[in-house]
Amino acid sequence: MTGPLIVQSDKTLLLEVDHEQADACRRAIAPFAELERAPEHIHTYRMTPLGLWNARAAGHDAEQVVDALMLYSRYPVPHALLVDVAETMSRYGRLTLTRHPAHGLVLVSTDRPVLEEVLRSKRIKPLVGARVDEDTVVVHPSERGQIKQTLLKLGWPAEDLAGYVDGEAHPIELAEDGWALRPYQRQAVEGFWHGGSGVVVLPCGAGKTLVGAGAMAQAKSTTLILVTNTVSARQWKHELVRRTSLTEDEIGEYSGTKKEIRPVTIATYQVLTVRRKGVYPHLELFDSRDWGLVVYDEVHLLPAPVFKFTADLQARRRLGLTATLVREDGRESDVFSLIGPKRFDAPWKEIEAQGYIAPADCVEVRVTLSESERLAYATAESDEKYRFCATTGSKQRVTEELVRRHAGEQTLVIGQYIDQLDELGERLGAPVIKGETSNAQREKLFDAFRAGELSVLVVSKVANFSIDLPEATVAIQVSGTFGSRQEEAQRLGRVLRPKADGHEARFYSVVARDTIDQDFAAHRQRFLAEQGYAYRIVDSEEYLAGS
Amino acid sequence: MTSETGVPRRTLADELRSWPDERLAELLRVRPDLLSPVPADLTQLATRAGTRASVSRALEGLDQFALQAAQALAVAPDPCPVEVLAALLPGGAERLPEALRALRARAVLWGGDDRLRLVRTAREVLAPGPSQPSATGLGPSLSEAAAGMSPARLQEILADAGLPATADPVSALAALRELFTDRSRLADLLEQAPAAATAMLEKLVWGPPYGEVSTTPSAPVRWLLDRALLLRSGPRTVVLPREVALHLRDGRAHRRLEPTPPEVPVRREFPTASVDAAAAGQALASLTAVEELLKEWSRSAPPVLRAGGLGVRELARTASALELAESQAAFWIELAYAVGLVASDGEADERYAPTPYYDEWRDLPESRRWAALVAAWLPATRVAALVGGRDAKGRTLAALGPGLDRTAAPTFRHRVLTLLAELPAGAAPDVEAVAERLRWERPLRASDQLRQRVCAATLAEAELLGVTGRGALASFARALTAGDRRQALTDVEKAAAALDPLLPEPLDHVLLQADLTAVAPGPLRRPLAETLEVLAEVESKGGATVYRFTSGSVRRALDTGRTAAELHNFLAAHSRTPVPQPLAYLVDDVARKHGRLRVGAASAYVRCEDDALLNEVLADRRSEPLRLRLLAPTVLAAQAEPAVLLARLREMGYAPAAESATGEVVLAGPAGHRTPPRSAPEPVPDGPPRPDARLLTAAVRAIRAGDLAATTPHRPKAPRQTPTGELPRTTSADTLATMQSAVLTGDAVWIGYVNADGAASQRVIAPIRVEGGFVTAYDHTADEVRTYPLHRVTGAAEITEE
Repeated sequence: MTGPLIVQSDKTLLLEVDHEQADACRRAIAPFAELERAPEHIHTYRMTPLGLWNARAAGHDAEQVVDALMLYSRYPVPHALLVDVAETMSRYGRLTLTRHPAHGLVLVSTDRPVLEEVLRSKRIKPLVGARVDEDTVVVHPSERGQIKQTLLKLGWPAEDLAGYVDGEAHPIELAEDGWALRPYQRQAVEGFWHGGSGVVVLPCGAGKTLVGAGAMAQAKSTTLILVTNTVSARQWKHELVRRTSLTEDEIGEYSGTKKEIRPVTIATYQVLTVRRKGVYPHLELFDSRDWGLVVYDEVHLLPAPVFKFTADLQARRRLGLTATLVREDGRESDVFSLIGPKRFDAPWKEIEAQGYIAPADCVEVRVTLSESERLAYATAESDEKYRFCATTGSKQRVTEELVRRHAGEQTLVIGQYIDQLDELGERLGAPVIKGETSNAQREKLFDAFRAGELSVLVVSKVANFSIDLPEATVAIQVSGTFGSRQEEAQRLGRVLRPKADGHEARFYSVVARDTIDQDFAAHRQRFLAEQGYAYRIVDSEEYLAGS
Repeated sequence: MTSETGVPRRTLADELRSWPDERLAELLRVRPDLLSPVPADLTQLATRAGTRASVSRALEGLDQFALQAAQALAVAPDPCPVEVLAALLPGGAERLPEALRALRARAVLWGGDDRLRLVRTAREVLAPGPSQPSATGLGPSLSEAAAGMSPARLQEILADAGLPATADPVSALAALRELFTDRSRLADLLEQAPAAATAMLEKLVWGPPYGEVSTTPSAPVRWLLDRALLLRSGPRTVVLPREVALHLRDGRAHRRLEPTPPEVPVRREFPTASVDAAAAGQALASLTAVEELLKEWSRSAPPVLRAGGLGVRELARTASALELAESQAAFWIELAYAVGLVASDGEADERYAPTPYYDEWRDLPESRRWAALVAAWLPATRVAALVGGRDAKGRTLAALGPGLDRTAAPTFRHRVLTLLAELPAGAAPDVEAVAERLRWERPLRASDQLRQRVCAATLAEAELLGVTGRGALASFARALTAGDRRQALTDVEKAAAALDPLLPEPLDHVLLQADLTAVAPGPLRRPLAETLEVLAEVESKGGATVYRFTSGSVRRALDTGRTAAELHNFLAAHSRTPVPQPLAYLVDDVARKHGRLRVGAASAYVRCEDDALLNEVLADRRSEPLRLRLLAPTVLAAQAEPAVLLARLREMGYAPAAESATGEVVLAGPAGHRTPPRSAPEPVPDGPPRPDARLLTAAVRAIRAGDLAATTPHRPKAPRQTPTGELPRTTSADTLATMQSAVLTGDAVWIGYVNADGAASQRVIAPIRVEGGFVTAYDHTADEVRTYPLHRVTGAAEITEE
């Protein structure tokens, strides 16, 4: 037994975490391999072309990658894999986008046949202009994003060295009074600034907003912040006022209700993607000021039209913030080419170990359905099955019982189906936050919950994203969007904020036994386990009887 | 050497007679085809050594330089003094004695250095003729090319060349030849040639020596033809006579003489440890690859094509199931076949399946299993790299199908490995240079294309098998090249023994994780791996194996008769860490449901203690096609086949168990498909088996004895002298020898002959050619040229001149 790493023929890397060299090895492979699963003993990393190019963008070369593999590998590394790594990495940077003193934006190649190959592509032709010399071709400045996207699809990712415009300057400072950026947040800001543009991957509750604020303080220029919804926009504003030298008046909100454009403007994806008569009326926002920085919150949710607008913003610095690079729609490559390569990444467990996020106890509670429920389930139409088993009366009773068990603790009940939530809210005597709840009402309820005046809150999926409930210690999910891993990450994030009393957070999933509810739960549980969260499965009868 | 004795030998047989036993044994060793059957005496040996088939085979064993020497001899005068030969091979003087030794050892060349003589058949094979161009690019000699020219035309030529007229054509040709072999006089003549004529000669000088001209030749051509510098070989073709070509070439027989073998450059050097580690890793991977293949074929045995072999689609399917390129899949399939691990099952609906030997092989330790693969690979004549190509008739060559045997393959394979072994440790050679070196060593052995194919394939396959690592020969594999090919088996075992310590020790534990995976951080002990493969799905392979537990896989394990408690014990016993709670829960949860529904085969029923569950099944719309009927509160009857019923219920999310007629649960064990016992295919032998020392000694002794008997008594063969009406009777060897010497001397012989109807006759014939079991002769009796099969000739006797 020597190295901690096992290189598999399918390009996954298995890292034995208890090995004495595991930490060193993790640091060596993290730049080029994505952590895919992090259960307790063996972590799985995967090498993908995007990952290898991310590494190239961060200044690593193939030799370093090969050396890292050879150094830590327990068994001989398949030769073909090494060749493939070198081959893939050598593709990055053969084409570069730079600024030519006379011709403006140009695509330059160090390898003429590659340039010939891509210029021959039908998709590239409309994006380029005249040939300057044998190795250089003019690119229409408006197509900077488009060409990067297309080149990546052709397998020849271009390195963007064309630089950024500074934008309109605006003084922004961090107001570090009694608090300071955590070390990893500082590293993330530095990593982003050094790279110019890119994505910072941090778990929920790890303070991504502060990374955004830190980046703004670096840029010291007008900033456009794109967030998922209005509540999230308000929270950003609140946080920025508290943590930076910015005042309320300097920050504008651009949403369905308000259309303010200020030096720092926070806009929702929703308003940007509004479409009337085939045009996007709010697109002018992008041109309304000379933005020096664009921040994308929750990059993994970025809607497709925003990608299109982003393609036109390639001369601005762009910061993407997310908890996971996994997109359920598989558009990771667009994130790579349009927002930028991954600039910083820290796994949940590591930040949890540093005490910045709370550990969580995840419990799946299996509920045995009554006979009549089972019969009804068996005869239900297939598209109704999930709804039926997710909202059965047996589950409601178990959920109520769980809430009662944790009486006095800040408890969130999260679900998918409004009927079910309304019913639960009624029986528990707790307010329900759903789509139709007004923003003012939402904020009022959230404030009450934060203050401890309310201890139980029932929320629908509108609360999945970017709400900040620091004092929730118990989350109970009763139904979800099928097996969405992303949603699971967000929901778990609700209880991962560090608690004042160091109390361990509790995360329950209530699941109907022997139904597809159980299958979906299994999918989500797997995600939890892969993130390194141990979970238990208990039978509701035993669990509730045993205490 | 014969020249030392001073007395020139008259025939090859005489020469052989003077050889010591060791040299005879060596001859029989390098030309083993002469041994079967053992010749009766040296005359017969010499005769057989002169047959076309045997000579061709002997020439195939020559290296490029020896071959070039032989080619040069074929265009030189016969006999040829060594100095003349050396002049034809400028730059090769140093290595010439060695080449001559090689030719003599094969009895292709005989006579002393002052009168080197190629065996006549070899000369015929190598000498240029109109239908067979010579590798030298030289044409026929002046006298050959001018045969049939009218004497008047010859005299004209003499005049044009500035020579005095002669009395007859023979002296005319002699005069011309003298001119052509005199460097300064011919140079003077060529000096006067028009520029166009010189250019034309230059085109032909390195061959091919034939050129096309119109029926009314241009002036420069006419100038050349008039001086016999070009000669007509047909109505529209001309040929450059050998003497002129040699003059223009400054006496060189070959454009590019290759006296020394080409170097094999080292492409890259790696540390030995890294080479060995890579090779050992690959050796292990090769076992997995073969095992994966056979497991796949146990489950779904592919059909045998009517013409034999594996269909293209089946190969593609297998390749994609194994996640390999088709060429690699073909290699593993052919290898498994060569080892005898897979064969056709011989059923009416013929399919390929693992043989019972596979089960034995699987239980061997890793290094022994590897040895079995390598031992079959080294002598295999089937070339997997040809799969997917087309044969001469344009048919696709199928894996396991006919047409893949290439007898030269094992020789090349062995030679490639020895070449690798000659490089410094850890050095990886250039692939093309290896093929080039092999071409030099045995230029006539196979086509260039096949040689390159086999060389490239051998290097690729050696890498796949872990014989090489990163392109360099692994140190443990050096044993494979140590001895000669007859000891291959013990060599393989030695290599396997050296490999053994490099293989990782099989583990007896796995790491269980809460995401329901198990990671085996290395190769597992066989029983453990087998159980795990039933209990969990393999998710990722390589140095380690990642297994995933699913309800389906756990159910599969329960289906094989294991109980939940057994599974818990198994997991606890083989896990280094506590069994994660979700995994234990999964096993219990599946076990709880497992077997709750019981389905009978005989009457197709569903029974269950829980009548609510039956109601549930009955109420489920998806069960409608099964046409279920509630027999009793706890029993459902179905109209569907039990298998359909089972599948449907499982689809619906239940875990029914099948029941036998007596009510026991039927255990569905994973039984793979097997052929009846099959032995591994024998490689196609490349010529007769190699004789060992004992056989050689015995053979030489027998030949000597026979030769003594045939030559010592010199009793006059009196009765044969006078035709008495009796058919002459001689042994077939004597008959052959008599015929062949008659061909040489041009004498007539008297033969006894039995025709196709069995009628015996006596004839007097003058043999012209003896070849391929036939004698072509001028039959004095019939007064025409006829061909007689030698086996019908009962005997032959020389006709006395009296």
